Amino acid sequence: MSYKELKSRIDAQQVTFLDGGIGTEILRRGYTWASHQLKSEPELNLEIHQDYINAGADVITTNTFQLSKRSFRNHFANDEHLEAIGVRGLLDRAGELIHESVALADKARRSLDRDNCLIAASITTLEWCFRPDQSPDVEKIYDEYLEELTDYADAGADIFLFETFNSTPEAEVAIKAAKEIDIPAWVAFVPYQDGRLLGGQSMAEVTDAMARNEPDVLLLNCAPPDHITAGMEQLAPLWDKPLGVYAHVGKFNPPEWQFTDEYSADQHLQECKHWHDLGATVIGGCCGTTPDYIKKLTEFFS
Amino acid sequence: MSYKIIKEKLAAKESILLDGGIGSEVLRRGIRWRQHGIEDAPDVIRSIHVDYLEAGVDVLTTHTFNLTKRNFINFFRDEEHMALIGATGLPAKAMELCRTAVSLAKEALAETGMAGTVPLAGSIAPVMHLFRPDLSPPENDCLDHHEECVEVLSDCGVDFIFFEGMNNTREAQAALQATAGFDLPVWMSFVPGMDGNLLNGESLSDVVDLARGNGAEAVLVSAGTIPMITKSLPNIINGSPCGAKAIIGRYNPPSWKPDFYPRFEDTDEVSPEKYAQEVNNWLDQGVQIVGGSSGTTPEHIRAVRKVIG
Repeated sequence: MSYKELKSRIDAQQVTFLDGGIGTEILRRGYTWASHQLKSEPELNLEIHQDYINAGADVITTNTFQLSKRSFRNHFANDEHLEAIGVRGLLDRAGELIHESVALADKARRSLDRDNCLIAASITTLEWCFRPDQSPDVEKIYDEYLEELTDYADAGADIFLFETFNSTPEAEVAIKAAKEIDIPAWVAFVPYQDGRLLGGQSMAEVTDAMARNEPDVLLLNCAPPDHITAGMEQLAPLWDKPLGVYAHVGKFNPPEWQFTDEYSADQHLQECKHWHDLGATVIGGCCGTTPDYIKKLTEFFS
Repeated sequence: MSYKIIKEKLAAKESILLDGGIGSEVLRRGIRWRQHGIEDAPDVIRSIHVDYLEAGVDVLTTHTFNLTKRNFINFFRDEEHMALIGATGLPAKAMELCRTAVSLAKEALAETGMAGTVPLAGSIAPVMHLFRPDLSPPENDCLDHHEECVEVLSDCGVDFIFFEGMNNTREAQAALQATAGFDLPVWMSFVPGMDGNLLNGESLSDVVDLARGNGAEAVLVSAGTIPMITKSLPNIINGSPCGAKAIIGRYNPPSWKPDFYPRFEDTDEVSPEKYAQEVNNWLDQGVQIVGGSSGTTPEHIRAVRKVIG
């Protein structure tokens, strides 16, 4: 399937399936996610992508959450300090791993003869996603986004999935850079229990900002189901273009994940049906969800 | 009170040997870096302490660097957000882990028969990443944070407080202030930048004076490479007790974690013997307290012991 075909499906309000958690799936399968495991455990990455494709995902996501040059840089006082005490090649690492991640996703779809499955590049905020107070100065980040997106484009990603964004100004810069590269942008924001963004903006502010930037799909993600519901209830009445959701299940146990049985795959499906009723048509799972969760979704909605 | 032994050594101008890397050693021994390895591998942490004791340290340091409530909260928007989406028990987790960490060090002391002769230093890191002075919060936040850390370590019975890796003057001052209500000796180490000053560019000799003036019984430089540490020494040596310990190898952080992750590579570039030679040079210059930062191992400390005698 080309992106054009996918987009016409999405625009026709047909349900489209994303994959589920990747980092948490690596943890659940007994590995640390400390360095994304892209080079150390490529087979593991490949299997997870394959499992999601087999579960029915139309779009699979690269294992690149929070993988950026800045995230490495952030461990040092400045570049001179990094040069003095950092491991060699650290500033090239994000670009290399981005290429690796897209190649693994591509290998997975080819191995299953599913070239019609599209690859979304997982890109989150430059600073820590749950810390809106640390958001960077948006006047200064365009080139940084452009560089990162160029790596994904060169590697062959089909979609930029800006996910777990906590405010609109940074998302606007990201979309602008995506437009320059001419790869479609989808944007997913983190809602909070009050139905606003984690960073405090109302959904009306979100839709005002997004109307100016026109992402192909506007989504909510990386929050527990009740926060997603609160956000969707606010967002859906204000947005007549494609909407999506992917909630997390379980609890964040830094630096890892606590898997709980609070939302089983069946219960998660019930939540997804509700979000579909509210208007979401692009549906998948975030942290803590597994290929079984996606399989439940695809079996029900297909 | 085993600190008395150290106090006497300091007064007699004798050399004092500290331990080396602990977090980096946990990772080097193949343990996954979550909750400092304390839940997964308490035996490994205890044996790291034992190895340092057997290598001949005069002071044992607790595995509590960067192990604070704030360290968990930092992953979330705020405490409310942590309560809603964080794992069960997270708010109390750090302090529980600290208590376990102190117990593990005490067990190592008991196991080697060194309880009462080797004092236990309670390690406290900067509030934020030790290499990011720009993230250090306002003074009152620093004060509250460090008070909480000092309180738990004091309650666990450490012999003195060791603030490690301070990177800016404001936080150093708040940390020293945080010890006011506790009857414990205090040491403080500073991270140097490239030019021999404090990592954030402030004057190292000024902050060292401030620390000494506010009751720090010893000041050190740490968490820099050997050249960085060596360059900073003239700013701390003035006849009062001072110390030095360097990183060996290269810091290899993961992309996504926003806090310090003690993974060091290429550590074999500085052999134990080579490290001991460098330490010997520092001792010749007037440094009295020596040990190792991240990347150093019990073998490095054993080699230093040989040099000190």
